[in-house]
Formats: sequence, structure tokens, C-alpha cells
Amino acid sequence: MPQIAIVGAGPSGCFTAQALAKLLPEARIDILDALPVPYGLIRYGVAPDHQGTKTVIRQFERLFERQGVGFFGDVRLGETVTLDALQGLYDAVVLATGLSADRRLGVKGDDLPGVLGSGAVTRAFNDYPDTAPVSIGEQVVIVGNGNVAVDLVRLLAKGAGEFHGSDLSEAAAGQCGRVRRIDVVGRSPSDQAKFDPVMIRELGRLEQAAIHVHGLSGEGKVVEALEHLQGHAPDGATREIHFHFGWTPEEIEGQAHVTAARFRQGDARLVLPCDTVLTAIGFEGTTPGADAEGNIGPGLYATGWLKRGPRGTIPENRADAQAVAARIAADLATVPAGKPGRDGLLDLVPQAVHYAQWQNIDAAERADCPEGRVRQKIATKARMLAIAQQTGES
Amino acid sequence: MQIAVLYGTETGNAEMLAEDIASHLSDHDTSVTNLSDFDPAAFDRETFYIVVTSTYGDGELPASAQPFAAAMDKARPNLSGVRFAIFGMGDSEYPETFNFGGKRLEEILTGAGAERVGERVTHDASGGDMADDLALPWIDAILSTVDA
Repeated sequence: MPQIAIVGAGPSGCFTAQALAKLLPEARIDILDALPVPYGLIRYGVAPDHQGTKTVIRQFERLFERQGVGFFGDVRLGETVTLDALQGLYDAVVLATGLSADRRLGVKGDDLPGVLGSGAVTRAFNDYPDTAPVSIGEQVVIVGNGNVAVDLVRLLAKGAGEFHGSDLSEAAAGQCGRVRRIDVVGRSPSDQAKFDPVMIRELGRLEQAAIHVHGLSGEGKVVEALEHLQGHAPDGATREIHFHFGWTPEEIEGQAHVTAARFRQGDARLVLPCDTVLTAIGFEGTTPGADAEGNIGPGLYATGWLKRGPRGTIPENRADAQAVAARIAADLATVPAGKPGRDGLLDLVPQAVHYAQWQNIDAAERADCPEGRVRQKIATKARMLAIAQQTGES
Repeated sequence: MQIAVLYGTETGNAEMLAEDIASHLSDHDTSVTNLSDFDPAAFDRETFYIVVTSTYGDGELPASAQPFAAAMDKARPNLSGVRFAIFGMGDSEYPETFNFGGKRLEEILTGAGAERVGERVTHDASGGDMADDLALPWIDAILSTVDA
């Protein structure tokens, strides 16, 4: 019976487990996560008002509830448990820890107070445990041309009444509710913007934001969607959104705090006064150098963004996870059985949060949520562990 | 009665529902096939087809249904006498394209002469219902009207 550990309970880790469970029904699969709670980016990266996207969690629940996959939360690789120890316990170890560091702008002033990375902001809006609240002012410049930028625009431009059915917390709503003007600036021309047209069209339903699109060029689905947005002006709009294309960031201006963002296009300059700059230009981090099938070395694999770099949607990473799982299954066909797997892990990390304990955290979050919300996330690790431990004794 | 559940999926949600429908119908001779692995020449008049598909992106068919749509377009099989039920999955966060995946697959099948049995229903990922709670009673009601 092969023993497999997956480090990281986000979508790529869970999809890898799902594919492995199909390919190797006899295998014992355990998923570890640094947080006490599973699902990673689905829970903390997908926007709080995109609950439909979060429904892939129902697939993952099935892994833990019916397919015997183990969850061990509050286990941080390199701290709670070493990679060597895991490799001693398991026939295959799959790293699925993702890439979460915000890529910096790389221009003068990009470290001024008031400049925030999209990852940090998204985590704050999603109640990532123990995250300091972010301070978003009234005039916000968002640098970036992808779906993360659109998520930020939408969350900042929605009025309090537009979050029905989401899991946006009151604390998060307080952080994003003061914005009056948003400028979204992309380096590429509009026909090369990486927005999903469907997400651009979604902005056309904003109830309190007037939208102006500047400098459209070229054609294609994104350009059509942007053309459609131009002039969106609901009655009594209280915010403005401006899209700009083809502008390269040159400098973030300010002394003690951001006061403006400056961009260039050939000899032309665009100076946007602002009190907040949000960068949504991608993520970075060190990758372990896995091959095309995810193999790093004997018995060690990577999947998801840690393998491929910070690119691709959830479904693209699902397809990739299936390919990694196929490679692992092929490799494990020749491995002799006998590693201790889960029994050894339980000895090493007796305090780990188990799936049944997560279910109690989950139940508490669903039971204790305000009107119009589907969940109120527990916002500190200490509180999560307290709930986990209460139920551990019952 | 032979039943073939065919699914088109992008995130795996439709695949899971297809598997659930098949296990629910385990009294019948039931198979589950990804549309990406299904050859339009394999349609059979003695089999009842249950098609489950999501909607993806800007109202497109999900990735695994796209090769099937292309193969249907190329092969242009005559599906008269073939009966199917179809269940769509969508997200009302995107109202303009909510049910497009199911609608397009239905058009492809009826366009080739197949007969839809029962209503096409679309599950809303942003709604409160579980897909199974909608789909299992739906298929039971349809099968009760289909000759064995």
C-alpha cells in the first residue's frame, strides 16, 4: 500500500490527491497544511463574492469524507515537520505550497507606505488568519491587467448592499468601503490585456460605480467587453472607475506616503494623484526545479504553481495535477511497500488539526454568520485551534 | 435499460455529479464517460443518455466537451432515435451566460436528430442547493417516463 503525503491543501494539492485516489485506490494519501484549515487559495484567494468558484470545495470534501484522504492542519513544513522526516515516512512527497509573494513594481517609491501587493490585500479581504488590516484610502491606483486586478476593482467598487451571499466579513468591508476613485493601469494595450471577458462584463452590474475606459485599441473579446463597459453610469453613482492601457509605471511619488503614481507611454506621461497603490502584476517565489511531470528527485514531486510558476487558472492547474499524479502512480509501481505513512506522522505531529476538527471550525463559521452572508471566517489561528481542541475532547 | 452518463467538465464539478448520478442509478447498466473520450459514432439507440455539462468562461462549453463538439461538427452523425436528458451547471454570478453550456450541447444533439426527454435543468453554483439534490430527483422523474 503506497503512502503519499501532499504538502499544501489548496486546489493543486487537493486535485493531485483526487487524481491519485483514482489512479491508486489502494494508496493512503495524507494532505498537510501550514494553516489549521484546508483549501488554501480557494478559501483565501478566490474573491469573497465568487462563492460559485469556491464550490470545487465540495469535490475536496469528498476526498476527506468518503475516500479516506487524511487532513493534518497546523503542520508547517520546515518547522513542525522537516522534509527529510516526511520522506522517511512516505513513499512519495508532493509539494503543493503555491507561490504567494507579490511581485514588486520595481520602480522608485514602490516601497512607500500606501503601496500594497494584491496578495496581501486579497488575504486581508478574505480574513486570512492573523493578517493585519490593510488601509485603503479614497483614491486608488491599481497596476495590473489581469483577473486579480479585476477582483480588486470589483471588491472596492461594490457598495455595502452588493455583497449578499458572499463571505465578506464586516472587518473586511470596513477596509474596502471608502474608495471614491479607482484607476486601473495596464502596461499592455487593451487587446493584450489578460482580463477574462466574463469578469469585465461582471463590472457592468456594479450598482454604484461609473466606468470610463480610456485608450482602447485593437479588437477581440476583451476589447468588446471593455467597450460595453464604457459609459456605465448607474443613477446616484458614488464611485468612479477609470481604465487606462499601454502605460508603463515610472515612479510612485510621495514623501512619507504615496501621493501619486506616474506612468509613461513613449514621451507622454500620466500622473494619477492617489493615496493608495495596489499592485496586481503577479506572484513570485522560489520554485524547486521540478521537471515537466513534476518530479524533483527520488520520491519528491511538485504540483500546481510551485511546479509551473505562478500561471494558470484553477482548471488549468487541475489538468496539470492529473499529469503529475500519473507520473507519481507510474513511479510508485516499482517502490517496495513498508513505509509507516500516517501512523508515523501522527507520532511526529500529535497536535495536528484533523479533518473532523476542521468540520467543527467550518460548522462554527457557517452557524455564526451575519444576515446576508454564507460564512463568517474565524480570523485568528488561536481561535481556530481553540475550536479544534474543544471538539477534540468530545 | 442501458444508461450512459456523459459529462463535460472544466473544474471537475460536473464529473463528480455525473459519477453521483451513475451510482444513484446503479440498478441499471450504467456507464460514465468524459465527453472528451466519447466518439459520436458510438451513439446507440438502445442506450439512454444523460448528459451533464458545466458552462465555462464566457459562456463556452467546458474544456472536456469541446473536442466532442468539434467531432460532432465534423462527423455529422444522424442521431434520430437517440434519446437523452441533459443537466446543465452554471453560476448566476454570470447571468448572461448562466445556462449556455447545457443549451449548446442540447442544440448540438437535437440538431443531429436526437430527442431530448424531460426538461433541461441548470444548477446554480451560487445558489443554496447542492447539485445532487436537484439532479437525482430530476433524473428519477425522467426515467419513470422512459420505456425500459
